[in-house]
Amino acid sequence: MEIIEILSTGVGLSIQDRGRSGWRRFGVPPGGSMDRSSAQAANQLLGNRPDAPVLEILMQGAKLRILEDTWVALAGADLGCEQAPWTACAVTAGTVLEFPINRSGLWAYLAVPGGFYADRWFGSASVDLRNGLGVPLQQGRRLTSVAGAPSLSLDRVGRRVLALDQQRDFSKPMQFELLPGPQFDLFTTEARDQLVSARWTVSARSDRTGFRLQGPELAVPESIRSEPVLPGSFQVPGNGQPIVTMGDGPTVGGYAKLAVLREADLDWLAQCRPGTKVSFKWADLF
Amino acid sequence: MVEKLKDFPCMNVRIRPYGERGYLLDALNDDARLLIERALALEPPTAYEESVPGADNLLLLFVRPPDLSALRAWLDRLEGGASKRKPRTHCLEVPVVYDGPDLKAVAQATGLSEAEVIAIHTAPEYRVRLMGFAPGFPYLDGLDPRLHLDRKTSPRDRIEPGAVAIGGSHAGIYSVASPGGWHLFGRTDLVLFQPEKAKGTPGDPRAIFALAPGDLLKFKQVEG
Repeated sequence: MEIIEILSTGVGLSIQDRGRSGWRRFGVPPGGSMDRSSAQAANQLLGNRPDAPVLEILMQGAKLRILEDTWVALAGADLGCEQAPWTACAVTAGTVLEFPINRSGLWAYLAVPGGFYADRWFGSASVDLRNGLGVPLQQGRRLTSVAGAPSLSLDRVGRRVLALDQQRDFSKPMQFELLPGPQFDLFTTEARDQLVSARWTVSARSDRTGFRLQGPELAVPESIRSEPVLPGSFQVPGNGQPIVTMGDGPTVGGYAKLAVLREADLDWLAQCRPGTKVSFKWADLF
Repeated sequence: MVEKLKDFPCMNVRIRPYGERGYLLDALNDDARLLIERALALEPPTAYEESVPGADNLLLLFVRPPDLSALRAWLDRLEGGASKRKPRTHCLEVPVVYDGPDLKAVAQATGLSEAEVIAIHTAPEYRVRLMGFAPGFPYLDGLDPRLHLDRKTSPRDRIEPGAVAIGGSHAGIYSVASPGGWHLFGRTDLVLFQPEKAKGTPGDPRAIFALAPGDLLKFKQVEG
Protein backbone atom coordinates (compact mmCIF):
# COMPACT_ATOMS: atom_id res chain seq x y z
CA MET A 1 0.00 0.00 0.00
CA GLU A 2 1.05 3.63 -0.54
CA ILE A 3 2.49 4.59 2.80
CA ILE A 4 4.78 7.63 2.48
CA GLU A 5 4.73 10.76 0.33
CA ILE A 6 7.95 12.70 -0.17
CA LEU A 7 7.32 16.35 0.69
CA SER A 8 11.00 17.26 0.42
CA THR A 9 14.02 15.13 -0.51
CA GLY A 10 16.45 17.26 1.50
CA VAL A 11 20.15 16.69 0.81
CA GLY A 12 19.67 13.17 -0.48
CA LEU A 13 17.13 10.37 -0.36
CA SER A 14 17.28 6.93 -1.95
CA ILE A 15 16.03 3.37 -1.62
CA GLN A 16 18.75 0.95 -0.51
CA ASP A 17 19.12 -2.67 0.56
CA ARG A 18 22.20 -4.86 1.14
CA GLY A 19 23.38 -4.41 -2.46
CA ARG A 20 24.11 -6.84 -5.29
CA SER A 21 26.46 -9.75 -5.61
CA GLY A 22 27.74 -11.77 -8.53
CA TRP A 23 28.23 -8.90 -11.00
CA ARG A 24 31.57 -7.40 -9.94
CA ARG A 25 33.36 -9.24 -12.75
CA PHE A 26 31.37 -7.07 -15.19
CA GLY A 27 32.32 -3.91 -13.30
CA VAL A 28 29.07 -3.58 -11.34
CA PRO A 29 29.85 -2.37 -7.79
CA PRO A 30 28.16 -4.13 -4.85
CA GLY A 31 26.42 -0.89 -3.77
CA GLY A 32 23.92 -1.08 -0.93
CA SER A 33 23.27 0.99 2.20
CA MET A 34 26.29 3.06 3.21
CA ASP A 35 25.81 1.84 6.81
CA ARG A 36 24.46 -1.66 6.46
CA SER A 37 24.33 -2.42 10.14
CA SER A 38 22.05 0.56 10.84
CA ALA A 39 19.81 -0.34 7.89
CA GLN A 40 19.61 -3.86 9.28
CA ALA A 41 18.77 -2.51 12.75
CA ALA A 42 15.84 -0.53 11.31
CA ASN A 43 14.52 -3.69 9.67
CA GLN A 44 15.07 -5.73 12.81
CA LEU A 45 12.90 -3.33 14.83
CA LEU A 46 9.94 -4.21 12.60
CA GLY A 47 10.72 -7.90 12.21
CA ASN A 48 11.59 -7.40 8.53
CA ARG A 49 14.13 -9.45 6.60
CA PRO A 50 17.57 -7.88 7.24
CA ASP A 51 17.91 -7.07 3.53
CA ALA A 52 14.45 -5.48 3.06
CA PRO A 53 14.62 -2.17 1.12
CA VAL A 54 14.81 0.91 3.39
CA LEU A 55 14.82 4.64 2.79
CA GLU A 56 18.31 6.12 3.20
CA ILE A 57 18.25 9.77 4.32
CA LEU A 58 21.42 11.84 3.92
CA MET A 59 21.91 14.70 6.38
CA GLN A 60 19.16 17.22 6.88
CA GLY A 61 16.14 18.54 5.00
CA ALA A 62 13.98 15.52 4.21
CA LYS A 63 10.26 15.78 4.96
CA LEU A 64 7.90 12.81 4.66
CA ARG A 65 4.11 12.51 5.07
CA ILE A 66 2.67 9.25 6.41
CA LEU A 67 -0.36 8.25 4.28
CA GLU A 68 -1.78 5.33 6.33
CA ASP A 69 -1.73 4.28 9.99
CA THR A 70 1.37 2.12 10.24
CA TRP A 71 4.70 1.54 11.99
CA VAL A 72 7.98 3.27 11.17
CA ALA A 73 11.48 2.37 12.40
CA LEU A 74 14.48 4.72 12.41
CA ALA A 75 18.16 3.87 12.86
CA GLY A 76 21.56 5.39 12.11
CA ALA A 77 22.23 9.13 12.06
CA ASP A 78 20.33 11.45 14.41
CA LEU A 79 18.77 13.98 12.03
CA GLY A 80 16.61 15.74 14.61
CA CYS A 81 13.41 13.83 13.89
CA GLU A 82 10.81 13.80 16.68
CA GLN A 83 10.99 10.00 16.58
CA ALA A 84 14.35 9.03 18.09
CA PRO A 85 16.80 6.85 16.20
CA TRP A 86 16.93 3.16 17.13
CA THR A 87 13.17 3.07 17.76
CA ALA A 88 10.05 1.82 15.99
CA CYS A 89 6.78 3.65 16.61
CA ALA A 90 3.16 3.39 15.60
CA VAL A 91 2.35 6.47 13.49
CA THR A 92 -1.01 7.75 12.28
CA ALA A 93 -2.01 8.85 8.79
CA GLY A 94 -1.20 12.51 8.23
CA THR A 95 1.87 12.58 10.49
CA VAL A 96 4.77 14.52 8.95
CA LEU A 97 8.27 13.24 9.75
CA GLU A 98 10.87 15.99 9.48
CA PHE A 99 14.65 15.66 9.56
CA PRO A 100 15.68 19.28 10.18
CA ILE A 101 19.18 19.10 11.68
CA ASN A 102 22.21 16.89 11.50
CA ARG A 103 23.00 15.99 15.15
CA SER A 104 25.26 12.99 14.64
CA GLY A 105 26.18 10.72 11.76
CA LEU A 106 25.35 11.19 8.08
CA TRP A 107 22.87 8.53 7.01
CA ALA A 108 19.55 7.71 8.70
CA TYR A 109 17.54 4.62 7.76
CA LEU A 110 13.76 4.47 7.75
CA ALA A 111 12.05 1.10 7.54
CA VAL A 112 8.36 0.29 7.02
CA PRO A 113 6.57 -3.04 7.56
CA GLY A 114 7.84 -5.65 5.10
CA GLY A 115 10.19 -3.08 3.51
CA PHE A 116 9.57 -0.71 0.60
CA TYR A 117 8.30 -2.10 -2.63
CA ALA A 118 10.94 -1.13 -5.21
CA ASP A 119 12.29 -2.01 -8.64
CA ARG A 120 15.43 -4.11 -8.63
CA TRP A 121 18.53 -4.03 -10.80
CA PHE A 122 20.88 -7.00 -10.74
CA GLY A 123 18.72 -8.41 -7.96
CA SER A 124 19.00 -5.40 -5.64
CA ALA A 125 16.75 -2.42 -4.95
CA SER A 126 19.78 -0.22 -4.24
CA VAL A 127 19.78 2.83 -6.45
CA ASP A 128 23.15 3.62 -8.08
CA LEU A 129 22.67 6.78 -10.12
CA ARG A 130 26.27 6.99 -11.31
CA ASN A 131 25.87 3.67 -13.08
CA GLY A 132 22.34 4.18 -14.40
CA LEU A 133 20.65 1.83 -11.92
CA GLY A 134 17.44 3.52 -10.84
CA VAL A 135 16.11 7.07 -10.89
CA PRO A 136 16.32 9.79 -8.23
CA LEU A 137 13.38 10.13 -5.83
CA GLN A 138 11.48 13.37 -6.48
CA GLN A 139 9.25 15.54 -4.35
CA GLY A 140 5.65 14.30 -4.59
CA ARG A 141 6.64 10.68 -5.13
CA ARG A 142 4.63 8.13 -3.13
CA LEU A 143 6.40 5.07 -1.77
CA THR A 144 4.72 1.71 -1.24
CA SER A 145 5.29 -0.75 1.59
CA VAL A 146 5.16 -4.50 1.13
CA ALA A 147 3.01 -5.08 4.27
CA GLY A 148 0.49 -3.00 6.22
CA ALA A 149 1.67 -3.99 9.69
CA PRO A 150 4.83 -5.45 11.24
CA SER A 151 5.06 -9.22 11.25
CA LEU A 152 5.85 -9.07 15.00
CA SER A 153 3.15 -9.27 17.58
CA LEU A 154 2.82 -5.68 18.82
CA ASP A 155 -0.60 -5.78 20.49
CA ARG A 156 -0.96 -2.90 22.95
CA VAL A 157 2.64 -1.82 22.31
CA GLY A 158 3.22 1.62 20.81
CA ARG A 159 6.99 1.64 20.64
CA ARG A 160 10.00 -0.65 20.36
CA VAL A 161 13.59 0.32 21.20
CA LEU A 162 16.71 -1.41 19.95
CA ALA A 163 18.83 -2.96 22.72
CA LEU A 164 21.20 -0.29 24.05
CA ASP A 165 24.33 -2.27 23.25
CA GLN A 166 23.30 -2.37 19.58
CA GLN A 167 22.76 1.39 19.30
CA ARG A 168 25.71 3.41 18.01
CA ASP A 169 26.73 6.88 19.06
CA PHE A 170 28.37 8.40 15.99
CA SER A 171 29.54 11.48 17.88
CA LYS A 172 31.96 9.27 19.82
CA PRO A 173 35.57 9.44 18.53
CA MET A 174 36.48 6.19 16.86
CA GLN A 175 39.60 4.17 16.28
CA PHE A 176 39.03 1.74 13.43
CA GLU A 177 40.70 -1.64 12.90
CA LEU A 178 42.75 -2.31 9.79
CA LEU A 179 43.90 -5.44 8.04
CA PRO A 180 47.02 -5.22 5.83
CA GLY A 181 46.09 -4.46 2.20
CA PRO A 182 47.30 -6.43 -0.83
CA GLN A 183 50.23 -4.01 -1.42
CA PHE A 184 51.13 -3.55 2.29
CA ASP A 185 54.65 -4.82 1.51
CA LEU A 186 55.21 -2.16 -1.18
CA PHE A 187 54.78 0.71 1.30
CA THR A 188 57.61 2.01 3.46
CA THR A 189 57.67 1.16 7.15
CA GLU A 190 57.25 4.88 7.78
CA ALA A 191 54.04 5.05 5.68
CA ARG A 192 52.62 2.02 7.49
CA ASP A 193 53.40 3.62 10.85
CA GLN A 194 52.01 7.01 9.83
CA LEU A 195 48.68 5.45 8.89
CA VAL A 196 48.14 4.31 12.48
CA SER A 197 49.97 7.06 14.39
CA ALA A 198 48.41 10.11 12.70
CA ARG A 199 44.96 11.58 13.18
CA TRP A 200 43.10 11.78 9.87
CA THR A 201 40.34 14.15 8.82
CA VAL A 202 37.41 13.01 6.66
CA SER A 203 37.48 15.26 3.58
CA ALA A 204 34.46 17.10 2.17
CA ARG A 205 35.35 15.49 -1.16
CA SER A 206 33.83 12.19 -0.01
CA ASP A 207 30.84 10.44 -1.56
CA ARG A 208 29.20 7.04 -2.06
CA THR A 209 32.20 5.85 -4.12
CA GLY A 210 34.95 6.81 -1.69
CA PHE A 211 35.83 8.66 1.51
CA ARG A 212 38.98 10.76 1.22
CA LEU A 213 41.23 11.25 4.24
CA GLN A 214 43.49 14.22 4.91
CA GLY A 215 46.64 13.90 6.97
CA PRO A 216 50.39 13.45 6.55
CA GLU A 217 51.51 12.78 3.00
CA LEU A 218 52.29 9.06 2.75
CA ALA A 219 55.17 7.90 0.53
CA VAL A 220 53.49 6.25 -2.46
CA PRO A 221 54.79 3.17 -4.26
CA GLU A 222 54.53 2.74 -8.04
CA SER A 223 51.08 2.24 -9.55
CA ILE A 224 50.17 -1.40 -9.98
CA ARG A 225 48.48 -3.28 -12.82
CA SER A 226 44.69 -2.95 -12.48
CA GLU A 227 43.29 -5.44 -10.02
CA PRO A 228 40.09 -6.00 -8.00
CA VAL A 229 39.26 -3.50 -5.25
CA LEU A 230 37.04 -4.28 -2.25
CA PRO A 231 35.05 -1.68 -0.29
CA GLY A 232 37.03 -0.58 2.75
CA SER A 233 40.36 -0.59 0.88
CA PHE A 234 42.80 2.27 1.50
CA GLN A 235 43.99 3.20 -1.99
CA VAL A 236 46.83 5.70 -1.97
CA PRO A 237 47.07 7.85 -5.13
CA GLY A 238 49.96 10.15 -6.09
CA ASN A 239 49.16 12.85 -3.53
CA GLY A 240 49.73 10.42 -0.63
CA GLN A 241 46.23 10.97 0.81
CA PRO A 242 44.28 7.70 1.21
CA ILE A 243 40.90 7.14 -0.40
CA VAL A 244 38.74 4.54 1.36
CA THR A 245 36.66 2.76 -1.29
CA MET A 246 32.94 2.68 -0.47
CA GLY A 247 30.18 0.36 -1.74
CA ASP A 248 29.46 2.31 -4.96
CA GLY A 249 33.17 2.64 -5.78
CA PRO A 250 34.87 1.03 -8.78
CA THR A 251 35.44 -2.73 -8.68
CA VAL A 252 39.02 -2.49 -10.03
CA GLY A 253 41.80 0.05 -9.65
CA GLY A 254 45.48 0.72 -10.21
CA TYR A 255 46.50 2.43 -6.97
CA ALA A 256 48.40 0.45 -4.34
CA LYS A 257 46.25 -0.56 -1.36
CA LEU A 258 47.91 -0.15 2.01
CA ALA A 259 45.13 -1.45 4.25
CA VAL A 260 41.54 -2.71 4.42
CA LEU A 261 38.98 -1.77 7.07
CA ARG A 262 37.01 -4.45 8.83
CA GLU A 263 33.53 -4.60 7.28
CA ALA A 264 31.76 -3.59 10.50
CA ASP A 265 34.06 -0.57 10.86
CA LEU A 266 33.34 0.55 7.28
CA ASP A 267 29.68 1.05 8.28
CA TRP A 268 30.80 3.33 11.08
CA LEU A 269 33.31 5.27 8.95
CA ALA A 270 30.48 5.95 6.47
CA GLN A 271 28.71 7.83 9.28
CA CYS A 272 31.68 10.20 9.86
CA ARG A 273 30.92 13.69 8.61
CA PRO A 274 33.47 15.78 6.69
CA GLY A 275 35.83 17.29 9.25
CA THR A 276 35.56 14.32 11.64
CA LYS A 277 38.91 13.20 13.08
CA VAL A 278 39.50 9.46 12.86
CA SER A 279 42.38 7.19 13.75
CA PHE A 280 43.32 3.61 12.97
CA LYS A 281 45.11 0.64 14.46
CA TRP A 282 46.34 -2.58 12.92
CA ALA A 283 44.16 -5.54 13.86
CA ASP A 284 45.86 -7.99 16.16
CA LEU A 285 46.61 -10.80 13.71
CA PHE A 286 50.15 -11.82 14.35
CA MET B 1 58.45 -32.84 -12.38
CA VAL B 2 57.79 -30.70 -15.47
CA GLU B 3 55.07 -33.15 -16.46
CA LYS B 4 53.48 -32.80 -13.04
CA LEU B 5 53.32 -29.00 -13.25
CA LYS B 6 51.60 -29.29 -16.60
CA ASP B 7 48.92 -31.55 -15.15
CA PHE B 8 48.41 -29.39 -12.07
CA PRO B 9 48.89 -25.82 -13.34
CA CYS B 10 47.66 -24.29 -10.07
CA MET B 11 50.45 -25.70 -7.91
CA ASN B 12 52.50 -22.50 -8.18
CA VAL B 13 49.59 -20.10 -7.74
CA ARG B 14 50.18 -17.74 -4.82
CA ILE B 15 47.31 -17.05 -2.38
CA ARG B 16 47.00 -13.85 -0.34
CA PRO B 17 44.10 -12.93 1.94
CA TYR B 18 42.29 -9.69 0.98
CA GLY B 19 39.83 -8.23 3.47
CA GLU B 20 37.77 -10.51 5.69
CA ARG B 21 36.15 -12.55 2.94
CA GLY B 22 38.53 -12.58 0.00
CA TYR B 23 41.63 -14.26 -1.40
CA LEU B 24 43.75 -12.93 -4.25
CA LEU B 25 45.29 -15.58 -6.48
CA ASP B 26 48.56 -14.38 -8.02
CA ALA B 27 51.10 -15.84 -10.41
CA LEU B 28 48.41 -17.17 -12.72
CA ASN B 29 49.38 -18.40 -16.15
CA ASP B 30 46.67 -18.71 -18.81
CA ASP B 31 46.19 -22.44 -18.15
CA ALA B 32 45.68 -21.88 -14.42
CA ARG B 33 43.33 -18.96 -15.01
CA LEU B 34 41.15 -20.95 -17.40
CA LEU B 35 41.16 -24.00 -15.16
CA ILE B 36 40.16 -22.04 -12.05
CA GLU B 37 37.38 -20.11 -13.85
CA ARG B 38 35.97 -23.39 -15.14
CA ALA B 39 36.14 -25.09 -11.75
CA LEU B 40 34.45 -22.10 -10.07
CA ALA B 41 31.54 -22.46 -12.47
CA LEU B 42 31.23 -26.24 -12.10
CA GLU B 43 32.40 -27.24 -8.60
CA PRO B 44 33.18 -24.13 -6.52
CA PRO B 45 34.66 -24.37 -3.02
CA THR B 46 32.23 -24.20 -0.08
CA ALA B 47 30.56 -20.80 0.58
CA TYR B 48 32.05 -19.29 -2.59
CA GLU B 49 30.31 -16.04 -3.65
CA GLU B 50 31.94 -14.55 -6.75
CA SER B 51 35.23 -13.93 -8.54
CA VAL B 52 36.74 -10.80 -10.09
CA PRO B 53 39.58 -10.96 -12.61
CA GLY B 54 42.47 -8.48 -12.41
CA ALA B 55 45.17 -7.85 -15.02
CA ASP B 56 47.51 -10.36 -13.37
CA ASN B 57 45.38 -12.00 -10.72
CA LEU B 58 41.95 -13.21 -9.66
CA LEU B 59 39.95 -12.33 -6.55
CA LEU B 60 37.76 -14.99 -4.95
CA LEU B 61 35.07 -13.79 -2.56
CA PHE B 62 33.33 -15.99 -0.03
CA VAL B 63 30.26 -15.68 2.18
CA ARG B 64 32.33 -17.51 4.81
CA PRO B 65 35.99 -17.74 3.81
CA PRO B 66 37.73 -21.12 3.99
CA ASP B 67 41.11 -21.56 5.71
CA LEU B 68 44.01 -20.79 3.45
CA SER B 69 45.02 -24.44 3.60
CA ALA B 70 41.56 -25.60 2.46
CA LEU B 71 41.69 -23.24 -0.53
CA ARG B 72 45.23 -24.43 -1.28
CA ALA B 73 43.99 -28.02 -1.27
CA TRP B 74 41.08 -27.13 -3.59
CA LEU B 75 43.48 -25.48 -6.05
CA ASP B 76 46.00 -28.31 -5.93
CA ARG B 77 43.30 -30.84 -6.80
CA LEU B 78 42.42 -29.09 -10.07
CA GLU B 79 43.82 -31.10 -12.94
CA GLY B 80 44.99 -29.45 -16.12
CA GLY B 81 43.98 -32.15 -18.60
CA ALA B 82 40.81 -30.48 -19.77
CA SER B 83 42.48 -27.11 -20.36
CA LYS B 84 44.26 -28.48 -23.43
CA ARG B 85 40.93 -28.34 -25.25
CA LYS B 86 40.64 -24.57 -25.25
CA PRO B 87 37.38 -23.43 -26.79
CA ARG B 88 37.89 -21.06 -29.71
CA THR B 89 36.19 -17.86 -28.60
CA HIS B 90 34.28 -15.90 -31.21
CA CYS B 91 36.02 -12.65 -32.21
CA LEU B 92 33.68 -9.66 -32.21
CA GLU B 93 34.23 -6.94 -34.82
CA VAL B 94 33.77 -3.47 -33.34
CA PRO B 95 33.10 -0.68 -35.89
CA VAL B 96 34.89 2.59 -35.04
CA VAL B 97 34.64 6.08 -36.50
CA TYR B 98 38.16 7.43 -35.92
CA ASP B 99 37.38 11.10 -35.23
CA GLY B 100 38.46 11.26 -31.58
CA PRO B 101 39.93 14.45 -30.07
CA ASP B 102 43.24 12.84 -29.01
CA LEU B 103 44.19 11.13 -32.28
CA LYS B 104 46.40 14.01 -33.35
CA ALA B 105 48.14 14.35 -29.98
CA VAL B 106 48.80 10.60 -29.82
CA ALA B 107 50.25 10.71 -33.36
CA GLN B 108 52.54 13.57 -32.30
CA ALA B 109 53.56 11.90 -29.04
CA THR B 110 54.45 8.62 -30.78
CA GLY B 111 56.01 10.10 -33.93
CA LEU B 112 53.47 8.31 -36.12
CA SER B 113 50.95 9.66 -38.61
CA GLU B 114 47.25 9.53 -37.68
CA ALA B 115 46.73 6.90 -40.38
CA GLU B 116 49.51 4.79 -38.84
CA VAL B 117 48.00 5.10 -35.37
CA ILE B 118 44.67 3.87 -36.75
CA ALA B 119 46.36 1.03 -38.62
CA ILE B 120 48.24 -0.04 -35.48
CA HIS B 121 45.05 0.17 -33.37
CA THR B 122 42.96 -1.90 -35.83
CA ALA B 123 45.63 -4.57 -36.43
CA PRO B 124 45.60 -6.77 -33.30
CA GLU B 125 43.07 -9.21 -31.91
CA TYR B 126 42.34 -7.94 -28.39
CA ARG B 127 41.27 -9.98 -25.37
CA VAL B 128 39.05 -8.65 -22.59
CA ARG B 129 41.40 -9.16 -19.64
CA LEU B 130 39.13 -7.66 -17.02
CA MET B 131 36.12 -5.38 -16.70
CA GLY B 132 35.68 -2.53 -14.27
CA PHE B 133 36.03 1.22 -13.79
CA ALA B 134 32.33 1.24 -14.76
CA PRO B 135 29.84 -1.54 -15.61
CA GLY B 136 30.74 -3.08 -18.98
CA PHE B 137 34.06 -1.22 -19.41
CA PRO B 138 36.61 -3.68 -20.91
CA TYR B 139 40.34 -3.50 -20.23
CA LEU B 140 41.73 -4.97 -23.46
CA ASP B 141 45.06 -6.80 -23.69
CA GLY B 142 46.90 -6.77 -26.99
CA LEU B 143 47.60 -3.07 -27.52
CA ASP B 144 50.72 -2.52 -29.65
CA PRO B 145 53.54 -1.30 -27.33
CA ARG B 146 54.08 1.69 -29.65
CA LEU B 147 50.75 3.01 -28.31
CA HIS B 148 51.47 2.48 -24.59
CA LEU B 149 51.07 6.00 -23.18
CA ASP B 150 50.53 7.40 -19.69
CA ARG B 151 47.03 8.59 -18.98
CA LYS B 152 46.26 12.26 -19.64
CA THR B 153 47.47 14.54 -16.85
CA SER B 154 44.12 16.33 -16.65
CA PRO B 155 41.19 13.93 -17.07
CA ARG B 156 38.04 14.99 -18.94
CA ASP B 157 34.94 15.65 -16.83
CA ARG B 158 32.63 13.79 -19.16
CA ILE B 159 33.23 11.12 -21.77
CA GLU B 160 30.30 9.67 -23.71
CA PRO B 161 29.59 5.92 -23.79
CA GLY B 162 31.02 4.33 -26.94
CA ALA B 163 34.25 6.38 -26.81
CA VAL B 164 37.12 4.18 -28.02
CA ALA B 165 40.27 4.91 -26.03
CA ILE B 166 43.73 3.81 -24.89
CA GLY B 167 45.37 4.14 -21.46
CA GLY B 168 48.65 2.63 -20.24
CA SER B 169 49.08 -0.81 -21.78
CA HIS B 170 45.35 -1.28 -22.37
CA ALA B 171 42.80 -0.37 -25.00
CA GLY B 172 39.22 0.19 -23.85
CA ILE B 173 35.75 1.45 -24.66
CA TYR B 174 33.80 3.75 -22.31
CA SER B 175 30.54 2.06 -21.31
CA VAL B 176 28.70 4.77 -19.34
CA ALA B 177 28.98 8.56 -19.36
CA SER B 178 31.79 9.32 -16.90
CA PRO B 179 34.93 11.34 -16.26
CA GLY B 180 38.07 9.72 -17.61
CA GLY B 181 41.77 10.15 -18.39
CA TRP B 182 42.29 7.86 -21.37
CA HIS B 183 43.21 9.11 -24.87
CA LEU B 184 40.17 9.17 -27.17
CA PHE B 185 40.57 7.75 -30.68
CA GLY B 186 36.97 7.62 -31.89
CA ARG B 187 33.53 6.20 -31.21
CA THR B 188 31.57 3.03 -31.78
CA ASP B 189 27.81 2.47 -31.87
CA LEU B 190 28.26 -0.87 -30.10
CA VAL B 191 26.26 -0.60 -26.84
CA LEU B 192 28.43 -2.10 -24.09
CA PHE B 193 25.97 -1.89 -21.19
CA GLN B 194 22.16 -1.77 -21.18
CA PRO B 195 21.05 -0.99 -17.60
CA GLU B 196 17.36 -1.43 -18.48
CA LYS B 197 18.07 -5.11 -19.26
CA ALA B 198 19.47 -5.50 -15.73
CA LYS B 199 16.04 -4.92 -14.16
CA GLY B 200 14.79 -7.58 -11.77
CA THR B 201 17.08 -10.51 -11.08
CA PRO B 202 18.65 -11.20 -14.47
CA GLY B 203 20.43 -14.44 -15.25
CA ASP B 204 22.16 -13.97 -18.61
CA PRO B 205 25.00 -11.41 -18.69
CA ARG B 206 25.03 -11.56 -22.50
CA ALA B 207 21.66 -9.80 -22.61
CA ILE B 208 23.10 -6.88 -20.60
CA PHE B 209 26.76 -6.62 -21.60
CA ALA B 210 28.25 -6.78 -25.10
CA LEU B 211 31.45 -8.28 -23.68
CA ALA B 212 32.65 -10.61 -20.93
CA PRO B 213 36.13 -11.31 -19.51
CA GLY B 214 38.00 -13.61 -21.91
CA ASP B 215 36.20 -12.38 -25.06
CA LEU B 216 38.14 -11.52 -28.23
CA LEU B 217 37.54 -8.44 -30.37
CA LYS B 218 38.98 -6.46 -33.27
CA PHE B 219 38.44 -2.80 -34.17
CA LYS B 220 37.38 -1.99 -37.75
CA GLN B 221 37.50 1.52 -39.21
CA VAL B 222 34.18 2.75 -40.68
CA GLU B 223 33.07 6.12 -42.09
CA GLY B 224 31.15 8.46 -39.78
